[in-house]
Amino acid sequence: MNDSRVRMSIVGVIVLALFGALFARLWYLQVAASSQYAAAASSNSVRVVNEPPIRGRILDDQGRPLVDNRIANVITIDRNISTAGRTMVVNRLAELLSVPAAELRKKLDDPRVSPYTPVPVASDVPYSVLAYVSEHREDFPGVKAEPVAVRNYVDGQVAAHVLGYVGEINGQELKAQTKSAHYELGDTIGKAGAELTYESDLRGTAGSDRVEVDSTGRVLRTLSSTKPKPGHDVKLTIDLDTQKLAEDSLGQGLAAARATQDKSDKKKFTMLAAPAGSVVVLDATDGSVVAMASNPTYDPNQFVNGIPTSTWTQFNDPNSHYPLVDRAVAGQYAPGSTFKLVTSIAGLQSGDINPTKTLDDKGRYAYPTDPGRFFNNDNGARYGRVDLPRAITVSSDVYFYTIGGDLYYRQRHAIPGGDALQETARQYGFGKATGIALPNEASGRVPDAAWKKKIHDANPAGFPYPDWLPGDNILSAVGQGDMLVTPLQLANAYASFADGGTVHQPRIASEVLDARGKKVRDLPAISTGQAPVPARDAMLAGFTGVAEAKGGTAVNVFQGFPPGMVAGKTGTAQVQGKQPTSLFVGMTPAAAPKYIVLAVVEEGGYGAETAAPIVRRIMQGLNHLPLTDVVTLPPADGN
Amino acid sequence: MAAVLTDRRARLQTSPLRHLDLALVTAPILISGLGLLMIYSATHTKLEQAGADPLSFVKKQAIAIVIGIVAMAIMTVIDYRRLRELALFGYAGTVFLLVAVLGVGVQVKGAQARFDVGPFQLQPGELAKLFVILVLAGYLAMHRGDLDVRRLVVALIIAGVPMGLIMLQPDLGTDLVLMFIVLTMLTVAGARGRHIVILLLLAATVAIAAVNLGVLKDYQIERLTSFANEGKDAERSGYNQTQSKNAIGNGGFDGQGYLEGTQTTGAYVPEQHTDFIFTVVGEELGFVGGATLLALFALIVWRTWRAARLANDLFGTLCCMGVLAMLVFQVFENVGMTMGIMPITGIPLPWMSYGGSSVIVSFACIGLVANIHMRRFT
Repeated sequence: MNDSRVRMSIVGVIVLALFGALFARLWYLQVAASSQYAAAASSNSVRVVNEPPIRGRILDDQGRPLVDNRIANVITIDRNISTAGRTMVVNRLAELLSVPAAELRKKLDDPRVSPYTPVPVASDVPYSVLAYVSEHREDFPGVKAEPVAVRNYVDGQVAAHVLGYVGEINGQELKAQTKSAHYELGDTIGKAGAELTYESDLRGTAGSDRVEVDSTGRVLRTLSSTKPKPGHDVKLTIDLDTQKLAEDSLGQGLAAARATQDKSDKKKFTMLAAPAGSVVVLDATDGSVVAMASNPTYDPNQFVNGIPTSTWTQFNDPNSHYPLVDRAVAGQYAPGSTFKLVTSIAGLQSGDINPTKTLDDKGRYAYPTDPGRFFNNDNGARYGRVDLPRAITVSSDVYFYTIGGDLYYRQRHAIPGGDALQETARQYGFGKATGIALPNEASGRVPDAAWKKKIHDANPAGFPYPDWLPGDNILSAVGQGDMLVTPLQLANAYASFADGGTVHQPRIASEVLDARGKKVRDLPAISTGQAPVPARDAMLAGFTGVAEAKGGTAVNVFQGFPPGMVAGKTGTAQVQGKQPTSLFVGMTPAAAPKYIVLAVVEEGGYGAETAAPIVRRIMQGLNHLPLTDVVTLPPADGN
Repeated sequence: MAAVLTDRRARLQTSPLRHLDLALVTAPILISGLGLLMIYSATHTKLEQAGADPLSFVKKQAIAIVIGIVAMAIMTVIDYRRLRELALFGYAGTVFLLVAVLGVGVQVKGAQARFDVGPFQLQPGELAKLFVILVLAGYLAMHRGDLDVRRLVVALIIAGVPMGLIMLQPDLGTDLVLMFIVLTMLTVAGARGRHIVILLLLAATVAIAAVNLGVLKDYQIERLTSFANEGKDAERSGYNQTQSKNAIGNGGFDGQGYLEGTQTTGAYVPEQHTDFIFTVVGEELGFVGGATLLALFALIVWRTWRAARLANDLFGTLCCMGVLAMLVFQVFENVGMTMGIMPITGIPLPWMSYGGSSVIVSFACIGLVANIHMRRFT
């Protein structure tokens, strides 16, 4: 018995030790190391589900919505339904929506959708389908129809390039965003146009629900919730009426051109191709964009539920002429005679000419050291004695070749003013992006000796001449050669001229408003510099003559307009291997221009032939004249 | 008349019920009450989601507790010395049921260990614990202080028959409990140190052989070994233990509050109302609750150990030590596995884990101890 008692005591000690171990371990888990396990427990069970905010609207200058949001019915499937139920639901929905079941399954498994929210599998579902699903609830377990806000481009194609479109954020965009912006996969983001540049204003702040989920991912309760904050509205400087007018007129002009013979081709009878064009209407007093059109165009609504692959392929097919490209800011063209604005001022600034100095235009020009090589007027026209205004009015190439040649001479002989042409061009904003709040703006090109040397050094075989030659300067003077401008740059240069030299940064938006319409911030007009405007009256007289004076290059076009309403300049830019680019830049009213209206038509023939009639119709609208359809008009002499 | 009165008074004075250990019989009732609350917490969310009665587990367990308390009363009232012979019938019946269960039992989680009896399930393996204790105690007491090899072998056969049958189910947990019971009883009964060492080695060999010879299913082996390399496979077999520790750690000092445990409501811990019931206590009642529960178990163990020392005969002592071994091993293994210091085996926490057989047998065992304790003077 004694032995037995000793053994029992041993057992007792072991038992004590075991219980001691349990208490110690319990203390360790719950007191000493509790925070570590509590953190693991919370990451186990707490999930954050984001609720997207309502995106702000985009308004025109009078507050009319160009982009707002509409309610679309989306069909969602709860991921927590059983595998069998899932197969059944997917198959039934596939039949009902006439989409392959595999496609639905792919959406259902989309890792970008939070596993704690129902997965949207079909958007903009027709009412008949909704009705069927709600009448057959028991056949569609876990299926719900939910209204969601989707982007609505109110007038379809109108202002498509200015407005842009939205889409789901991609990996690259996600990487480019800062952490504090809180983007995540599946979020909507602006992809083009104002939707892209004003993304931070439009987007709003996502709400978030902290939810507790169980081990199968089912939401048990909401721990805390922050409501999403709607995005701000952006008020554009675009005027809806003018924008529509500009787009209509451009469309009419392109159609008319395609029915017109290409007169620059003397050898065979071909029609103008006129595949594309653009229009810019600027407020000359502050650089606000009143209208901006690019054709061909597209309907941003096509992007709303994800763009179909076939449409995307078509958009990027060369035969469709890239409708997504905003030619007004991304297109680069030789400006042709519209560039004579710059050449005139360069001539005046350098002292090479004065407003009353005349020159006998005999139809051709040759640089003194190369007397055998002639630069001709179009069709060899001779304008006789012309002063600066007259040279502008009739678009005398010889007059401006001469300025180009004279300036080249100064350059070669180190006489002051030799760089006036290039310098003036840069002062007027050519050769660099204007800084408008739109993506993919091109910078154009102001060629000079340094540029020519650079491209020769980079590719000696392709560009055999390292030196800036007389012809380079002479062709630059009439907006040919290697000179490239964007339509926006060109319009903005004329706006600067009209406004007494203030170079504006073109703007497309004037204000940001909150959801209640209260102003959040101004987007003021910005001037980026001052350009010289010598002899403004004389030059303006020349530009007015273009539309009014006998022999003016666009007199036919503006017949019937009240005197003093329009000034402008035609441009017909030669393009290697293509029909000429047709350009016209107009100013109205002529004496103190309020608007600059520019039309550029690729392969559109003479400036007066295609571009000027487009501008005419827009001018009619801006000046409240009765509208007449755009028809091409045979050009007067000159270009 | 007077003689009758005197006789009655004398009988009353010596009535063993006067010496009933109230602490010993009250503590299991308290624990089983706490168990009901914990089972509700662990099961109501899922049952509500499924549209079932959220109390359905609680109700079944409550019935088992009532039956258990009745069983405890019966085991207390019948003089334990009479149980010595009665137990043989129970032992034979248990062996019969263990054979039968292999034929007509229901398969649950890979083991064929239960009978369906209406809405309840009967696990003969649980009964085996009680009757092995009684029969083994009877045999060992018969040969006190004289356990030669032959008798040791007989003792081992008494325990080995049910253990072998349980191994066939297979129910490793119950066999481990029985092994611990047998070793403890042999030790106290005076088996030679040499023999005990050999038995320990044998037990280890059998365990290893069981793992290697494929008696155990793969998942059982994985669960057994996963605690040794924790964290490595949190998604697979270590999942139980990781989640279990998270839940207990999440409780902190004073717990998340009853029905407020996120890991419990979220059903992160598998088998939470049965083997992992301690995690509910840990998460919702914290260290305070967990320690209180362990203290109640310690109280029962202490009173049982005390009853063993005070027992009138070796049979009583051995019975108490058998019950003590059963309780200690189950509590240590079960709570230890939820806290990651023991491997995972399917051993219920006495009176707490959902499961009628275990509750009833545990109560009956305490009845046996109370019986022995209160008859220490007769």
